[in-house]
Amino acid sequence: MMEKSGSIVCPSCQYVNLPGTLFCLRCGTYLPSGGPLRTEPFEEQQLERAARYGPDLAELDARTTGIEVEVLETNRKVLLSADSEILVGRLDAAHGVFPELDLTSDGGLEQGISRRHARMYAHEGKWYIEDLDSTNGTFINDELLASYVPMIFSDGDVLTLGSLRLRVKVYCGESSLR
Amino acid sequence: MAENNDGITSVTYSEVGTGSVTRASFGAMCEGCSGAIDDSAKPKGGDLVEAGCSAPVTADPAVARPLDLTGSDSGPSLQCAVTLSASSLLAMNSPQMLYALCEFSLRRASVSADRMPLNLALVVDCSTSMQGARIGYLKAALLDLLDGLQAGDRLSVIAYSDRATVAAESTFVTEKRKLAGAIANLTTGGGTEIYQGLVAGLRQVRRYARDFRRNHVILLTDGRTYGDEEACLAEARTARREDVSISALGIGNDWNDVFLDALARQGGGICRFVKDPSKTSELLALHIRGIAHAPLSEVALSVRLPAWARLQSAFRVEPFLETLELVQGEPYSMGVLDSGTLSLVFELIVQQPVAGDWRFAHLVFEGRIGEEQVSLRRDLGVRMTEGDPMPGTLPARLLSAVARLNVFRLQERAWQKLELGDVVEASWLLESAASRLSEMGESDLAHETMAEARRLESDGVPSLRGQKEIRYGTRFLPLR
Repeated sequence: MMEKSGSIVCPSCQYVNLPGTLFCLRCGTYLPSGGPLRTEPFEEQQLERAARYGPDLAELDARTTGIEVEVLETNRKVLLSADSEILVGRLDAAHGVFPELDLTSDGGLEQGISRRHARMYAHEGKWYIEDLDSTNGTFINDELLASYVPMIFSDGDVLTLGSLRLRVKVYCGESSLR
Repeated sequence: MAENNDGITSVTYSEVGTGSVTRASFGAMCEGCSGAIDDSAKPKGGDLVEAGCSAPVTADPAVARPLDLTGSDSGPSLQCAVTLSASSLLAMNSPQMLYALCEFSLRRASVSADRMPLNLALVVDCSTSMQGARIGYLKAALLDLLDGLQAGDRLSVIAYSDRATVAAESTFVTEKRKLAGAIANLTTGGGTEIYQGLVAGLRQVRRYARDFRRNHVILLTDGRTYGDEEACLAEARTARREDVSISALGIGNDWNDVFLDALARQGGGICRFVKDPSKTSELLALHIRGIAHAPLSEVALSVRLPAWARLQSAFRVEPFLETLELVQGEPYSMGVLDSGTLSLVFELIVQQPVAGDWRFAHLVFEGRIGEEQVSLRRDLGVRMTEGDPMPGTLPARLLSAVARLNVFRLQERAWQKLELGDVVEASWLLESAASRLSEMGESDLAHETMAEARRLESDGVPSLRGQKEIRYGTRFLPLR
């Protein structure tokens, strides 16, 4: 006989669950693996790679402080700060994936969003998006990004992750955020 | 102990006596012992309890039969498939969770195509709020229901507002003109006092209850009763003991779902949400079909556990989700079982430090098919191992069942928190429920739930419709 605790600490809310618990008794997170894992790839599509944006195509105020992302399929709007990098994807608590912009509730799984799909960040007054080798790709206005190559996006651009479309509004000055 | 390729571990035997088994080793139990749970038997630390099975274990040797280790039921009518979250657990002196999905169904030969005659009362809300389209749709639905009933069925119609009127005494539906006339003449006006209507409806059904196997009251309302809820619930409990069941259909957004749920639960029936009054006819027809064609009635379940196992919670997951307030050893009435399956999930906390094959629960499932009393008795067992057990794949059907009740429980807790004034926690719980629904592929309900969470966050109150959508949407999530 072994004396062993084996309790499961929920990675989402830190509630201590008994060994063998399938869903956290406090927040309902699926404990064995954090929910659906696999992102199914779409069928092959032939698309041109996006050309690098030159500095003359993105004229953003150096005081840019945030963006508003509107999920076009669900009309959900999220305000995001430029203070830190923004991971975009699907929550997977058991594997420690906690995207700042979690698209699970927007039909992320069905729309082909990977758990770590892309990251966005502001640098020297410009906003960048970088595909993290996602299964179904990231697009800026229908132009496919190469993996791990950050590309600038502008106010009003439509970013497509998998098949989920996000319209971005870039805020300058005092107007944000999370 | 029988173990099949799905990792299902079960032992079945057809009769149980009243003896004791001092060691729940299935290998030893098969030695001429019919077995029963000895709640006082506690494993001593480090020692194996003696394997002796007391025999004979019942005062009536004709009743006791050898254990059937093949996993097949010797009963002719009922069957039960059991799926565990783990067939082996680590033996340890601290608690761990174990889930059991038990799916009861009738063997094909027992499912009769015969429809049972119904003794039915319709208790119809005719308060002022029902005026206009609502009462119009309802009358049309009741006339459709009348058309669908068969010779041999009895029907009565009670109209209530702040008092009750018997619009039609209990009559065989062959007197269609009289019943249709009573329905057509329903008018609205006044407040809502459900108790008067309920008592009048029960009185009509009770008059002929002895001649029928299916005695049922359907309450239809769009509003709330005030001050008589406890009296209604007491009536429902009494009626259930007499095998008169009560169901409720809540029309629109304003009715008290907590109360009608409780009424249906106490009354052994079901509460349904009619969000679109034009769908009343369809829902009523579905409801009547379920009652009339249910081959198994007076269903009751009891559970007994050894001292080292505790029932954390129990749920019905099919045909709909419901928390079961089981008390160990006491029969819990579950109404009728239609030709489908009754699926239950038990969440158990087990603490067993001794390695070996252990029985952690004993189930007794009883009912009536026509004139015949039937029962199924089932042991649930698990193997406790000294080393870490081999990891296995979680059975998909069990995971689906537990995932559904997880969501159901999250939203129920959200409403409970809201009742206590904790808006923040309620909103957070709804968000969690929305995420789980999304993971399950239930996008529409996920969006509805998330919208309600946001509404709570911003306004501090939910929408009546949203609350009902979520409550009844999660209750009827399909088991895949």
